[in-house]
Amino acid sequence: MSEIVEAHNISKNYGGVRALKDVTFTAYRGQVNVLVGENGAGKSTLMKILSGSEQPTSGEIRLDGEAVQLDSPRTAQALGIGIIHQELSLFPNMTIAENLFAGRELRKGGRFVDAGGQRQRARDVLKRLGQDKLDPDTLVGDLPIGQQQLVEIGRALLEDVRVLIMDEPTSALSNHEVDVLFEVMADLRKQDVTVIYISHKLDEFRRIGDWVTVFRDGSLVAHESMSKTDTGWIVRQMVGRDPDSLYVRNSSPVGDVLLDVRGLSVPGTVKVDDVSLTVRAGEVVGIYGLMGAGRTELVETLMGMRQASSGQVSVRGVEEPKGTVRARMAAGLALVPEDRQRDGLVQTMSVRENILLSTLARMTRSGLLNAGAEQRTAKDKVGELAIKIPGLGALVTALSGGNQQKVVLARALLTEPVVLLLDEPTRGIDVGAKSQIAGLMADLAAQGFGVLFISSELAEVMAMADRVLVMARGRITAEFTAENVTEEALVTASASESVLEAQS
Amino acid sequence: MKFVPSRRALLAVGAASVLALSACGGGDDEASSSGGGESAPAASKLVVIITPSPDNVFFKAEQDAAAAQAKGLGYETLVLSHDDDPTKQSQQFDTAISRKAAAIILDNAGADASVTAIQRAKDANIPTFLIDREINKTGVAVAQIVSNNAQGAGLGGQEFAKLMGNKGEYAELTGKPTDTNAGVRSKGYHGILDQYPDLKMVAQQSANWDQAEALQKTQTILQAHPNIKGIIAGNDTMALGAYAAVQAAKKDIIVVGFDGSPDVVSSIQKKAIKATVLQPASKIAQMAVDQADAYIKAGGKTDQAEKQSIDCVLVNADNAATVKDFAVAGS
Amino acid sequence: MTDTHVAAPAPTAAAPPPEEPRNTALARAALLLLRGRTLVVLVVLIIIFSSISSEYLTQSNLILMTKHVAINAILAIGVTFVILTGGIDLSVGSIAGLASMVAGGLLFKGLNFPGGTVFFSVAVVILIGIVVGALVGAVNGLLITRFKVAPFIATLGMLYVARGAAQLHSNGGTYPDLAGTEARGNTGFGFIGVDSLLGIPVAVWIMVVVAAAAIVVTTKTPFGKHIFAVGGNERAAVLSGIRVNRVKIAVYVISGACAALAGLLLTSELGAAYPDTATTYELNAIAAAVLGGTALAGGRGTIIGTVMGAFVIGFLSDGLVLVGVSTFWQSVVKGAVIIFAVITEQAQQRLQSSLNRRTA
Repeated sequence: MSEIVEAHNISKNYGGVRALKDVTFTAYRGQVNVLVGENGAGKSTLMKILSGSEQPTSGEIRLDGEAVQLDSPRTAQALGIGIIHQELSLFPNMTIAENLFAGRELRKGGRFVDAGGQRQRARDVLKRLGQDKLDPDTLVGDLPIGQQQLVEIGRALLEDVRVLIMDEPTSALSNHEVDVLFEVMADLRKQDVTVIYISHKLDEFRRIGDWVTVFRDGSLVAHESMSKTDTGWIVRQMVGRDPDSLYVRNSSPVGDVLLDVRGLSVPGTVKVDDVSLTVRAGEVVGIYGLMGAGRTELVETLMGMRQASSGQVSVRGVEEPKGTVRARMAAGLALVPEDRQRDGLVQTMSVRENILLSTLARMTRSGLLNAGAEQRTAKDKVGELAIKIPGLGALVTALSGGNQQKVVLARALLTEPVVLLLDEPTRGIDVGAKSQIAGLMADLAAQGFGVLFISSELAEVMAMADRVLVMARGRITAEFTAENVTEEALVTASASESVLEAQS
Repeated sequence: MKFVPSRRALLAVGAASVLALSACGGGDDEASSSGGGESAPAASKLVVIITPSPDNVFFKAEQDAAAAQAKGLGYETLVLSHDDDPTKQSQQFDTAISRKAAAIILDNAGADASVTAIQRAKDANIPTFLIDREINKTGVAVAQIVSNNAQGAGLGGQEFAKLMGNKGEYAELTGKPTDTNAGVRSKGYHGILDQYPDLKMVAQQSANWDQAEALQKTQTILQAHPNIKGIIAGNDTMALGAYAAVQAAKKDIIVVGFDGSPDVVSSIQKKAIKATVLQPASKIAQMAVDQADAYIKAGGKTDQAEKQSIDCVLVNADNAATVKDFAVAGS
Repeated sequence: MTDTHVAAPAPTAAAPPPEEPRNTALARAALLLLRGRTLVVLVVLIIIFSSISSEYLTQSNLILMTKHVAINAILAIGVTFVILTGGIDLSVGSIAGLASMVAGGLLFKGLNFPGGTVFFSVAVVILIGIVVGALVGAVNGLLITRFKVAPFIATLGMLYVARGAAQLHSNGGTYPDLAGTEARGNTGFGFIGVDSLLGIPVAVWIMVVVAAAAIVVTTKTPFGKHIFAVGGNERAAVLSGIRVNRVKIAVYVISGACAALAGLLLTSELGAAYPDTATTYELNAIAAAVLGGTALAGGRGTIIGTVMGAFVIGFLSDGLVLVGVSTFWQSVVKGAVIIFAVITEQAQQRLQSSLNRRTA
């Protein structure tokens, strides 16, 4: 086993902040080298340095034993280092072949794009990715997110990549798509490509990784062969404490039915099909399923953001027929959406304004806003949820992901809901913040709220939910209690095709 | 998409009330495109009349006179307005060509920019008769009948100098700088005014033929030069704007315009604006139609010179009462 | 950045204390200057013009220029409401023209019924004019919310429709005399555009009232916050229970009403209503909003900034006329100032985010 990338004594300062402190990192040839750590631990900074988009303040990088200067992404690419970012950088309006060659089109006669040649090479690359069935003329926007990810990898492969850096590539993928991706990674490994893989998902990277490197607070705290570690050890290294306290299970007594959904159907490309469910006071109910199973559509419909074609929604035993956001909010529902940036936060507004957005009308005195009441209310919620902020007037975008999530939660709680709907509440936030959110959910249940949350992580849903519903193709395919749930049963139910066949 | 009935009704009510309020004043005259020729493909009976926007009463008088004269001679008419946009004018020429017009009466949108369109009509055997404004090329249009702007501006300049007592500070408001007549009129004024050493022009600004712009610019000029005794404007709408500023400043300032529009003529009768120069718009338009008729009947010949210039008439307190539709009785 | 070792304790406790680089203080000063750039530009303009002409900085000229500013400022305040939601209103100039013609027609020849002609008092006429503007704005809002027409297209269409309606109203003609008569009980239209109160033109008072009301609405009411939220992130606003469509319709109604009011002021001052009133004024209004720091993407901007922007444009235009600069150069200078303002806006955003990063 030989070292291909060695980063020696790398430090990086942003202004006065030290993002990396004297890090020495090694990646081995033809292996999957996993990097883990909480957000802000320095993983991404190191990857930016290795891919040439940032320069280290001090330190040296060696590639195959030779010192190299990676002063631009182009230089890094020329040396065979490719990177795939968390956010895809594809053009949805162009075909697969066009995307693969965007910015470096094959030429014919020096001037014209050689579309035929591009198509041929695109086919080769797709074959290498195990996607021989995919037509290179398909628009990338028409592909599911998992295949888009593969196109992005294809771009890197075209460049004769020796080292492929992948920054959380699975955060938007379904389990099946993750499997495909991992097969591709295994193939690449056989072709002697080195993979550096950043991930938050403990259960996933343990399947694929050969080496694991843990970052904490800008330092490299552990580097070990994956086979010599276990999940507990990795989490301890990441957070510096024991993982048993990571997820808090709700143990409060269950009360009346707060949310009762009967026969709810929503048409659309991702549909909701005849869903019935209940959530009781003091209960934490999880919905597990793959991407596109209709989970987000279900909670958005409950919240009134989509219109149901049939079905009833009752809150506290009273049917709410209007189905607008305001009516559902008044009835006692509140939603913390999956995509904070897109659906949750108003990025141009302050922390205070974001927290109070749903309940401004209550802060008025003869029609005008009462600044004192605003300040008090927002400050109380910030204290209650332990939100870390530079100040109530600071832009909400200045907060970390976990704290932004808490701002959205604070706004939802201010509407005085009885049932909280949380769509992937822990997505994209680090382990420490995940544990805090889980604790908050348990607290809320203990206070008598009903909690309905969506999760794609088996470990999370199994650890947190009193009851787990599984969705596939818009239907609820299984229901488990905390006692009888197993990973296998969840995965089987989530991949259930039988309901679809029964329908069509 | 789903519609809540009450909203839809609101939209209908909203739209209807706007239209009702807009419509409540209109409808005295026929709308500007008095196209009786929609159903007639016959080649030789359609006269297309193209002028600037009839917002300006001058062009409206021109349109009306030409259309009336053509109808009187048994033609169908299609009245269009190019809003001083040569591109739009060019498209309207295409319309005229495709409808095989017998003749085009044109108050053009630009001395140079109009030439190709007129040439295109000529190539399609459609004669163009220009009114009011010339183009910078001969041999393309059959006739260019214009009021003598230079002569008219001379008249205006003389009257202004007389009103000023041949001395004192004055300001000039010029028209849209790209318009030939703006330059011709200004030059005509100065041909007279510059002969008097005691007449001093302290400000010269373009107000783009626009009333509101003339108002605001005059107000600012009066700030800079409080001793101004007179304002000479390149057309009547600017004179009206300037006079509104003079009134607001509660000053006694001589204002002279150009065009002979009814609003200014009635202002002169009220001893507000002092004078204007009347362009015989109706007369010119009628002449153009008559010549077009003769040209068609003669099978494409004319005995008139291409460039014809019709003298303007001074309107002041003495003769204002006799002016009607851009014509002074007895002239 | 290499000069990091200047000893200075950082204020926040959460992050490890970042040492403040020397140039951060400089950057802060620059940011302050950029934030107040509209005021800076205005002061610079006043200094330049008053050094060229002694008439510029006189009381009477300042009052006159402010009166000229009033019309554009009122238009721009209305447009700012729309831009804050992430929309645009290109129809305000035409709405001003339409309101002008509606009011002019009512004063000049009254409302014709089969049974005879009715004349309304000036106050009623002004109210009708504003209502017409608000209704056209409501149509804009419904097109955008109900029929999902892009704001640019909907209001571009309305620009033509309203202008056409204004021309149809008089068949292209001008209503030359709006003084009214005692017999008809409709005298006094000059009050809003010509007269003064306490030495200040009524039009300026109206601008002050409109601006003050707009400031209160945008900063002190839930509705105001909802406007910013819709412009900042429409989906988040929906999820927060904000009735986004109502907010949008409301801002177009406000914009239409402001446009109508501006048209009426112009008409009153002129003493005549003509269909081309306020042609292309929408561009001046949008320019004032942008100059004042309103982001065309929505969610960011202030009424006071817009008013300042209107002052810059007005004081610049009048100054150029006062010192006798030709029309061509007036156009060039005005355009250059607008572009300069947008560039400095960009610079401000960049500097702001880099300062945020340093102190985060």
